[in-house]
Amino acid sequence: MSQTVVEVDNLSLEFLSPAGNLMALKGVSLEISKGEIVGIVGESGSGKSVTAMNLLQLLPKTKINIPSGSVSVLNKNVTEMTEEQLQVLRGAEISMIFQEPMTALNPVLKVKDQINDILFRHKKISPKEAEEISIGLLRDMKITDPFRVYESFPHELSGGMRQRVMIAMAFSCSPKLIIADEPTTALDVTVQAQILSLLKERAKKTETSVLLITHDLAVVAQLCDRVYVMYKGEFVEEGKTNQVIGSATHPYTKALLNSLPEGKTPKSRLATIEDSLTETAKESIPENKTISSINSHEIILEIINGSIEYPKDYNIFGAPISFHKAVDQVTLSLEEGKTFSLVGESGCGKTSLANSIVGLNQLSNGEIKYKGINIKDQPPEVRREIQIVFQDPQSSLDPRWPVWKIMTEPLTAEQTPTYKELRIKASELCEMVGLEPQFIDRLPHEFSGGQRQRIAIGRALSVRPKLLVLDEPTSALDVSVQAQILNLLLDLQSEFNLSYFFISHDVAVVKHISDMVAVMYQSKVVEMGEAIEVLTSPKHEYTKNLMSSVPTLEIKQ
Amino acid sequence: MSSASEVNNNKIDKSLNKANLIGPFIPFIQQLTRLLVLLFMVTTLLFFMLRLAGDPALVLAGNDASPEQLAAIRAQYGLDKPLLIQYFNYMLNLLQGDFGRSLASGEPAMGKVLTMLPATLLIAGLAMLISILIAIPLGAWLGFKPERPDRRAVSGIIFVFQGVPGFVTALIFIQVFAVNLRLLPSLGMEWGTIEYINLFSNLSIPIPIPSKTWILPSCSLAWFLMPSLTRVVAANTSEAMREDYIRTARAGGASGKSVLWRHALPNALLGAAALIGTQFAFLMGGAVITETIFAWPGIGWLLIESTQTLDFPVVQALAFCIAILVFIVNAITELSFQFLDPRLRSKGN
Repeated sequence: MSQTVVEVDNLSLEFLSPAGNLMALKGVSLEISKGEIVGIVGESGSGKSVTAMNLLQLLPKTKINIPSGSVSVLNKNVTEMTEEQLQVLRGAEISMIFQEPMTALNPVLKVKDQINDILFRHKKISPKEAEEISIGLLRDMKITDPFRVYESFPHELSGGMRQRVMIAMAFSCSPKLIIADEPTTALDVTVQAQILSLLKERAKKTETSVLLITHDLAVVAQLCDRVYVMYKGEFVEEGKTNQVIGSATHPYTKALLNSLPEGKTPKSRLATIEDSLTETAKESIPENKTISSINSHEIILEIINGSIEYPKDYNIFGAPISFHKAVDQVTLSLEEGKTFSLVGESGCGKTSLANSIVGLNQLSNGEIKYKGINIKDQPPEVRREIQIVFQDPQSSLDPRWPVWKIMTEPLTAEQTPTYKELRIKASELCEMVGLEPQFIDRLPHEFSGGQRQRIAIGRALSVRPKLLVLDEPTSALDVSVQAQILNLLLDLQSEFNLSYFFISHDVAVVKHISDMVAVMYQSKVVEMGEAIEVLTSPKHEYTKNLMSSVPTLEIKQ
Repeated sequence: MSSASEVNNNKIDKSLNKANLIGPFIPFIQQLTRLLVLLFMVTTLLFFMLRLAGDPALVLAGNDASPEQLAAIRAQYGLDKPLLIQYFNYMLNLLQGDFGRSLASGEPAMGKVLTMLPATLLIAGLAMLISILIAIPLGAWLGFKPERPDRRAVSGIIFVFQGVPGFVTALIFIQVFAVNLRLLPSLGMEWGTIEYINLFSNLSIPIPIPSKTWILPSCSLAWFLMPSLTRVVAANTSEAMREDYIRTARAGGASGKSVLWRHALPNALLGAAALIGTQFAFLMGGAVITETIFAWPGIGWLLIESTQTLDFPVVQALAFCIAILVFIVNAITELSFQFLDPRLRSKGN
């Protein structure tokens, strides 16, 4: 175990750009021993992927500058190796698993070709031997029909299956080190659990070192022997996983742990990084003040036997002949001022249902009642009381519109307010969602992800809604930003008595924010009830499986 | 509740069975319907637009014809009847495969077009081949490392080429290769030694044997397609080079060559294939210019001549032919898409 596989010493790295160079790494030192699983945890832009890519020298050489430090992998100084020497190293001695299984595999090549390419490149073997090795690897990845997968194109496989293929590719030449860059971030939580255990099992069995890069402390807790915490290009804390998570010493690590909804009182305020890093801010934040909502018990939204079908095949005249059921006979109801959450994996029909509430698609069967009346019979000014916030604030805001125009667009649907009125309204909305009012002339790309989500929420609030449909509003955000947005949502709820229809795949977030929860699986609601009850003592098989798959900070040894 | 859903299921099952019987032919039938609609619209629109262009009787009779002569000519060619009647007569004949006779020469219009067609197909095909052979390697080279100074310079030159009108390049080619260097002929067409074989009694097909006369016309015509195709291949390649799977390939130890030819280029060609389909119609337009300049006896040249003499039946037959050609090329492009992109292949099944 004492053999060192990776040794990074006091490495600094800057990205060159005409607008000014950007220091991505500031004096980073890292060590990985043989067979060790080491994690680097940090938020987006903290430099964790850069650290990993630099081990394989995969960064464009013309665009970076390394003022100090050395990187040695397997006792070879990789910074001084030529491209040809590196090509021998890559895939054979060190291999990498990437985040997005959807885009990380070449869409026009079969799985067979992609694995064999690596094998042929590094080993002198016949095609027959290559096939044997590949099938064996796929079987080791617990793929039940390895021959079908071997002959498949990536698009014919599910996300989890593709990630298994990625891992098989990474292990194909028995490397000494595997770098896994957010290997499970894009996957459903049940699949994530399988993939993580596969990775750990295989690495321990073959004594392969693993460098795991993630933003998720819980994943680190499940997998890693040691962890480095990265913040703004520096390792701020380093140590055995249980030490770092159990008794963090650096304020950033503490802040990161505090911003996680897991284990906190539901509906309490979550600490954000800014709170924890600035002492003064601490006093102004009411600690663990539980926000209570007014209990009117009035039902604001009801879905009765709602089904949504999408046409699958068409006849000659373009009329659909067979359908895919996205939502199957869902019945649920939401009380005013409460939060109703819908949990489920991707493709289970959550978003289809959310879109049907705001009229972006139509139910094929059943009805949606708003305030006791079928939503189609409600006049437009009542229907306007339902607004939606989408998942990805990067793409859901028009990049060419200034903030004031984005935020006040809903107001111009029926009336024609003056330019001045709209700008005043936009400033008010900015204050409401915690943005500086003087930013209203800026464009979306000038804001961070969290600020953009605030803009999206401000836009939804512009018409004074009663019900907000929130479709994964925090899943594209860092945990500390997620904490800010969740705090904001809870504040707005208590201030305006808003009702939330909240959609998420993240059980910890749902547990934190919800009153009621419904678990959706394969287009059907399989379990529904009080949030605490459903999520702590699940009845249905799928919910149980889901709850046991969620990685937690508890360390299993 | 359950019985209702069963009934529903049965319905779906039945309709699925029906779909399976005609299922494989659906794309074919759809394409055929599209082609028929296209041909109907092209002929109808052109029929009325050509009648707006002028009176062919005036052209046929000459400038100093008397009104009686004009009337006689109109009666002879059926031009004195109301326009709608003329249209219905024309369409009825069309349905029987009769495209009418050329007003100028009296030959069957379609026969005239078909004898000229091979010459155009020859240079259009060669032009496409030349464009593709130049554009793919050049575009790949440009897109692989677009930030290098040499690639930038070449991209700039290609951009200028794209801006130069086709007839200017054709004239430059003639000046340089025919007039100054005296390497290549600039006028007319030769088929090589054997000129024609008779396939049917009235339709003869020439046998193409490479001849020097082909070079300049097909190169000039290639100029219409090559710069834009190169630029698309280059742009798609550099885009593909930024994709995640390229990073995966590099992390697996792939060399620069393998990254480009095996991983980036096949993906980049998907976009280029689409361009070839849409640009074919444009190439036909280019053929009109090129054939006129090089006195190449193809349908582009015929189109100019018959439009000038208001030879309606020939123009109509030409449009009909070109519409079918463009349609076929687009259908081939769609098929090649399925060949190149496995994601579309499984959808088709």
